[in-house]
Amino acid sequence: MNQKDTKNIRIDILDMVYKAKEGHIASSFSIVELLYAIYSGMAEGDSFFLSKGHASAALFAALAHFRKISREEMLTYCEYDSRLGGHPKRIPDIVMSSTGSLGHGFPMAAGYALAKKIKNESGRVFCIVGDGETNEGSIWETAMYAEQLRLSNLVCIVDNNNSQIRAKTSINIEKKFSAFGWQTATVDGHDIKQINDALFAPRAHSLAVPYCVIANTVKGRGVKQMESDMFSWHHKAPTAEELSAFKKEILS
Amino acid sequence: MRKQFAKTMQELGKDERLTVLIGDISHFLLKDFEATHPKRFYNMGVAEQAMMSMAAGLAMDGLIPVVHSITPFVTERCFEQIKDDLCYQNLGVKIVSVGSAFDYASLGCTHHCYEDIAILRSLPNMQVVYPAAPHEFDALFRETFTNGSPTYFRLPAKTHNIQTHPRFGEAEKIKSGKDVTVVAIGPQLQNAFDAAEELSRHGVGCDLIYLTTIKPVSAVSQKMIRESLEKTEALVTIEEHSIIGGVADVVAAIGRGIRYDEARLGVRDMFLTNYGTYDEHCAVNGLTKEGIIKAVHEIKPKNNL
Repeated sequence: MNQKDTKNIRIDILDMVYKAKEGHIASSFSIVELLYAIYSGMAEGDSFFLSKGHASAALFAALAHFRKISREEMLTYCEYDSRLGGHPKRIPDIVMSSTGSLGHGFPMAAGYALAKKIKNESGRVFCIVGDGETNEGSIWETAMYAEQLRLSNLVCIVDNNNSQIRAKTSINIEKKFSAFGWQTATVDGHDIKQINDALFAPRAHSLAVPYCVIANTVKGRGVKQMESDMFSWHHKAPTAEELSAFKKEILS
Repeated sequence: MRKQFAKTMQELGKDERLTVLIGDISHFLLKDFEATHPKRFYNMGVAEQAMMSMAAGLAMDGLIPVVHSITPFVTERCFEQIKDDLCYQNLGVKIVSVGSAFDYASLGCTHHCYEDIAILRSLPNMQVVYPAAPHEFDALFRETFTNGSPTYFRLPAKTHNIQTHPRFGEAEKIKSGKDVTVVAIGPQLQNAFDAAEELSRHGVGCDLIYLTTIKPVSAVSQKMIRESLEKTEALVTIEEHSIIGGVADVVAAIGRGIRYDEARLGVRDMFLTNYGTYDEHCAVNGLTKEGIIKAVHEIKPKNNL
């Protein structure tokens, strides 16, 4: 059942990007299982921030799957008067924050988590950060603050898709968060059971410190051509032929 | 001004939404607030980018964050956070800076800031407020802190002693005169007022207009400024800020289409690489009573009066 759902989400992402001729498919494909697990597992009072805003197509496909927005609206992706674009725009109660410039969503999520502490509100704040995004200094400023403020209601999920291997790589991310005083775990970011266990097992609810889950993922996951040539597919829309070949591959 | 800031925070702190984040300054002044509201006071140290984004996160959950630090660090260093997280999302975060212009004269250009008004007023949704006497900060903060929009308060070290009646968005006519329109912001109101008094003794009438809100300026206040320019056909602007993007440009936009001569007193397109004192920098930049009188005489030679 899960696998059928995540296949459908990938198909929706392809359709959205094909129709809009715009979007980051490969970066979206690496977080499909993460989004699926998070939206399946979130409880009343929990919230989610997408800090790596360029994966917005995956967010909107997941929101449509979980009926937070309609499928009709999902397909307006990137249209002039759509609420949904190449990077997300804040829609209260649906999309927590406008993101796009990297290193912004994570500190906003931390601020939201601090507000919950101030107001004695229950619920946790989940935030997906890209591994490349951890180049940004504001990520580590936030990691420092979260430790000092003991934001035990903050959960950072690093989409560790290694897409940055052309640049100075973000290495040893788990060790770094651990050195900043965070509880850490590593999971296969395409294994929903592992993700679910790391995020929602009882022990994940009773931490005294902020929590970082490193999700090892594959950029472009689900389409061989994207997995092997992720750089060309970082920001590119498929042709009609590619669209049908990719869909066939995903559904097979 | 800082004392008034602490006093106003202490008085408004009974509003359970008010949350103060400081960049490792003013802790002593705010110790009462910290003691009364320990859960709503955070010394965030010097990580201004994340501090500003976190303030946006606090506002998303209904709090009213007040972010306080030294001008260049709480405006320029985290400019993109202000743009994306505060202004794009239109969240009611209040920024309160000290150490603008050359208040920290002897600390050099990294600690000067004469571009803050220019860059912040360029951002949609941002409100820019510049009180220069304790009662002005108190009144303007109270008037705006619950209005849900990002607001920047620039607190100068020096204050003026003029009786003013600040209202958000409104310019105030301090003196009326027929010869020259003088628009002042910040503590320079004092020099402008003293200059206008002296000029009046020599038969030169100044229409002295004072702005505590740089953005927005209400339609009524814009009309008042336009009528003054139409009457005097001469303008002197005075600001402890770059003459690029500050009040000189605000008034130029308001007065578009009116023919008048103009002199801009402020920091020209240069770094003030000298050290010394606030008063020395004022003198070099013409920001004195004498400098203002000289500027008035230059654009309005005696035979034109």
